[in-house]
Amino acid sequence: MRDDPVVIALVRRAAAGDQAAWNEIVDRYAQLVWSICVRFGLSSEDIDDVSQSVWLLLVESIGNLREPAALPGWLAKTTKNECLRVLRVAHRHAHAGLPSEDQMPVDPDAVVIDDEILRAERDAALRAAFAELPPRCRELLSMLMRDPPCRYEDISATLDIPVGTIGPVRGRCLDRIRRSPHIGPFAGGTG
Amino acid sequence: MRNSGGDEERLTELSPGWDDEELLAALRQAFAARRAVPPEFVQAGKNAFAWHDIDAELAQLTYDSTRLTEEAVATRAQEEAAIRVLTFTSAQAGLQIELEVQEDALAGQILPMQAAAIEIQTRTGTQQPISADEVGCFWISPIPSGDFRLRCRPVTGNAEVVTAWVRL
Repeated sequence: MRDDPVVIALVRRAAAGDQAAWNEIVDRYAQLVWSICVRFGLSSEDIDDVSQSVWLLLVESIGNLREPAALPGWLAKTTKNECLRVLRVAHRHAHAGLPSEDQMPVDPDAVVIDDEILRAERDAALRAAFAELPPRCRELLSMLMRDPPCRYEDISATLDIPVGTIGPVRGRCLDRIRRSPHIGPFAGGTG
Repeated sequence: MRNSGGDEERLTELSPGWDDEELLAALRQAFAARRAVPPEFVQAGKNAFAWHDIDAELAQLTYDSTRLTEEAVATRAQEEAAIRVLTFTSAQAGLQIELEVQEDALAGQILPMQAAAIEIQTRTGTQQPISADEVGCFWISPIPSGDFRLRCRPVTGNAEVVTAWVRL
């Protein structure tokens, strides 16, 4: 994993008691915890159980994380363990007396946790970069991100800019995202 | 419920070489993934910070008699195996808290032996104060029904300790 300075700063601030930093951590990584629960096929009740445990464990451990930058990996591993715990309990209730470990309803190795981590980090970086754009850029890109995207005529009318400038403005806004410090840790590698 | 992305979807690293269409598609997907997470799920995660306790050292669960291997349990006398014992340890504070699960109560012991003010904290927010006597013994009755943890303040003024959450 790359050493994302943004994550390291958030972990340090939360460990010192900063609720705003904690909220930002949850906003960034709720997607990661959620998607792993969904991959394990948990019921919504079990998802609540798992997420409560995961966040409480993080609250407990946040001051002692050896590598703050490895937070996404820590969250993914903890979520996976909690999902397995919940499934084991459910399995024990359904088949009392059967060995639990090798009779799991989901093969843990089939759950591609690394992909979820990569996806969650990438998405969080993109959203963070977007959030720091000037308001006009955010408005324009939001309209273009809709499904289906807004027509240029509508964008022109709403934002009061000529249709001909939408393309170039769009390009400049996206360039700002490419240059964002949030994107840096992801785009820096040579391969 | 559907998978957040789908297995066939290509996972590409963010790249400065992405053209505008690729970057816009990635942004679209990033916000769609975030919208798929229910707001109350996110809020519950934020609320968990109420349990952050920077003034106390964490005592981890370091021993649980029910987590012995099956052979170990099988070779033990029946009545011995029936008693569950948990030990929480904080190396930083140099303190251990033992809990013995009895029929309808928990018998507690602080090591090294010392008097302490103890608070039983539950996730629903109830906080019940009890105290450990001068040899570190305390008594919790009835056994808390859900998750709980103990916050322990030695009367000597030594470091305060909070145990990991436990559910019996």
